[in-house]
Amino acid sequence: MTELTYTGVPASVLRIAAIATRHAYVLKRSPHRLFDVVMWPVVDTMLFGSIGVFASRSAHGAAQVPLYLLAGIVLWHVVYQAQIALSTGFLEETWSRNLLNLFTTPTREWEYMAGVALFGLVKLAVGVGAVAVIAWTVYSFQITSLGFGLLPVVVLLMAIGMAISLFVIGLVLRFGSGAEALAWGILFGIMPISGVFYPVSALPWLIRPLARILPTTHTFVVGQTLARGEPMPWGELGIALGTTAVLVVLAFGYASWMLRVFRERGYVTRYS
Amino acid sequence: MNSADFVLRARQLVKDYRRGRAVDGVDLEIKAGERVGLLGPNGAGKTTTLLMCLGVVRPNGGSVEILGHPMPRGRYAAMERVGFVAGYLPLPERMKVDEYLVMFARLYGLRNPRAVAQHGLERFGVAHLSRAMGTELSSGQKTLIGVVKASLHRPRLMVLDEPTASLDPEVALRVRTGLRELSESDGTALLVTSHNMVEVERLCDRVVFLSAGRVVADGRADEIAQQFGREDLEGVFLHLAEVRDAARDASRDAARDVDRLATEAS
Repeated sequence: MTELTYTGVPASVLRIAAIATRHAYVLKRSPHRLFDVVMWPVVDTMLFGSIGVFASRSAHGAAQVPLYLLAGIVLWHVVYQAQIALSTGFLEETWSRNLLNLFTTPTREWEYMAGVALFGLVKLAVGVGAVAVIAWTVYSFQITSLGFGLLPVVVLLMAIGMAISLFVIGLVLRFGSGAEALAWGILFGIMPISGVFYPVSALPWLIRPLARILPTTHTFVVGQTLARGEPMPWGELGIALGTTAVLVVLAFGYASWMLRVFRERGYVTRYS
Repeated sequence: MNSADFVLRARQLVKDYRRGRAVDGVDLEIKAGERVGLLGPNGAGKTTTLLMCLGVVRPNGGSVEILGHPMPRGRYAAMERVGFVAGYLPLPERMKVDEYLVMFARLYGLRNPRAVAQHGLERFGVAHLSRAMGTELSSGQKTLIGVVKASLHRPRLMVLDEPTASLDPEVALRVRTGLRELSESDGTALLVTSHNMVEVERLCDRVVFLSAGRVVADGRADEIAQQFGREDLEGVFLHLAEVRDAARDASRDAARDVDRLATEAS
């Protein structure tokens, strides 16, 4: 009779190895999960490292650190809430398998996106309002102290958030639910290199050129300048506007391309 | 026959996926008020054909016209007069039935969405479900709400993909009766896929049989059964499934022979 188990190896070891192997297969065949495994440690290191560098440089003055942090977190939530509202609005249709129902109505894609964005504005107002109220009541920081210059900053940050959500929607159309993790994580890959909580000079020198091509970086520079009580940096605002426009065009192009691929390859059946 | 008499005209539809050709030159025409069953074994290309007709999936070849609107370019205009129901699609979570129907009435651009939704529920005898959550409904109730949703805008063509799958015979009969009444009262044409041959025989005027992505028969149910020398549509269905399996086995054997010959040659 053949031995059914290895002799000398406790059965528990075999079972533990079997479970570990099963999860190794999952990771091997879901490369997007590496995003979770690798990205958060990288983000944390760069974010807190750069905050530390900024805080330790006397040239900036220690008093500016809380100002940068509070202005940064309130403005960051404009990008985050805009992105997450649009992305999860679309994901809701995939979770409830409602895409096919929507595709078989006269609804145009832009009408759908406008509807999601309209309600997204409500969520954004609630989310950013909560952060702003806490910053004001607990830390005596009024975001409105930035004056009317706050308006273009908020509009640009909303446009950036919505453009990034179009990339996420494109990725979900192309790669299915596997790409959903990006809906929550993608912005946190951008945050540390955008100088949200510190000037770009606090970043490692290797990262700075990358930071300078991001529209978020220039928009936050405008926000930080206004928070310091200085006049509107029009040149920086112009660069922020230009880079945001490029991002929006690229995002629309990518989402349209992925929608075409979605129709050509019949991916709608993933959600039916 | 004038082209205006057709609600759907699909010509030489072809769809290739990576795994192979799913639809291979399908022609499908449906006249106003006609009830057509689209049948075939699993993998015959029924759902892909429906989705191409609706403009949701882009064909590799061929053309589709719905009510004179070329697809997919005229999709938005066409969908104003087309309804779609799939027995396998759930109702969205966290929405009540009336909220769901009002949303779709608005998507169809209807003026009085609440009244239209209420009328639709009453028409199919499910007005008592108005305030129920979508997740609280049985399979049969969900299907009926799906039919109500697809008929809110009095479509000229209703496309139904396996509308009575997993329904008990009593509920299936209610759905079938409701669809027949809708078709007769509003002149709505129906295009139905189903694995229930009896249902198709009772509901449809005409049957189109697909096998391996091609139309292998098109006519009245009794004519098709006669054409294949079978007693009924179920006999035809089983015959086509056997043919498909035999073709698949033959192709596998041929591949195996090629491998064997290659091995021997080396």
